[in-house]
Amino acid sequence: MIDQKPRMFMPALIGGAVAGILSGVPFINCLCCIWIIGGAILSAYLLSKDSSVALSAGDGAIVGVFTGIIAAVVDFIVSIPFSAMSSEFTRSIMEKLADYAEEMPKGWENLLERGGIEKSIPMLMLGFVISVVIFSVLGALGGIIGISVFKKKASQNDQGVIDVPKNTDNAEHR
Amino acid sequence: MKAINKIIFVYFGTLAGILLWIAAIFFAPYLKSQTSEWNRLIYAVFSLICHQIPSRCFYVYGYPLAVCARCLGVYFGFLTGTVFYPFLKGFSKISLPRIKTFILMSLPIVADKIGNVFHLWMTPGWLRFITGLIWGIILPFFFIAGLSDYFINKMKNPEI
Repeated sequence: MIDQKPRMFMPALIGGAVAGILSGVPFINCLCCIWIIGGAILSAYLLSKDSSVALSAGDGAIVGVFTGIIAAVVDFIVSIPFSAMSSEFTRSIMEKLADYAEEMPKGWENLLERGGIEKSIPMLMLGFVISVVIFSVLGALGGIIGISVFKKKASQNDQGVIDVPKNTDNAEHR
Repeated sequence: MKAINKIIFVYFGTLAGILLWIAAIFFAPYLKSQTSEWNRLIYAVFSLICHQIPSRCFYVYGYPLAVCARCLGVYFGFLTGTVFYPFLKGFSKISLPRIKTFILMSLPIVADKIGNVFHLWMTPGWLRFITGLIWGIILPFFFIAGLSDYFINKMKNPEI
């Protein structure tokens, strides 16, 4: 039964890459968390398409978590050049504004520093770890939604009801 | 651990998580008002998943919240759905919401977003919040059911 389930890596890779790229590109990323959830739904669709058996919501959660992790890696890589471009753009604007320094409000020169944290290596790594966690949670959500939308219906699971065993203590003590 | 305990564990973990998440959203402007530098870290964390455009955020303590009005609505909706989950679904079985329900609850936020992106209309913050809230309510019913299903399957098949 387990062997009949398709591998999760490729669907997660495709969904994660799409989500990561769209999340990292300025202006497109204004849609907040929707790209991560959307990427995980795409992964769930690809997983479901290749599966000959009915997949569970748990399968959706797992492929979603993988999608979130890959999306975080891709987003991190994609954001590096855009971050540099963004800083350069802001700097050029500030240099232009310097010509009108006397007309600018007090403290305008501090605008560059405001609103962001220093881009040191430890802070970048911390940001990456946090994004892995957040994207994984959002990915799990998207994967579950995706499986519930695209799953192949099994005869006893038509209504999406999952059996909960009354007592599975024995399974744990094996 | 019994399967029902797994569901309860996932439920309370989700509830604690969303409460902490919402608290952090409000904590950011509070720290900024206290001139604590830690506010930058919280704003930076939420910038990963929200545009944080000040004109689209609610203000608390004189500063914008860490997420926009729509995202705030989604998180409050998620909290609302999580609070009502035990009364609507209980812990004795896991069931995913119907897709029709999901699509129906997604329509307001999708329609509003499309309208705003294409400049067909400009929605005020409170309406963005409401559309987010409606969508957010359905999400924990997927999240809790999916994670519970994973942990129960893992318990039945530990080799997975």
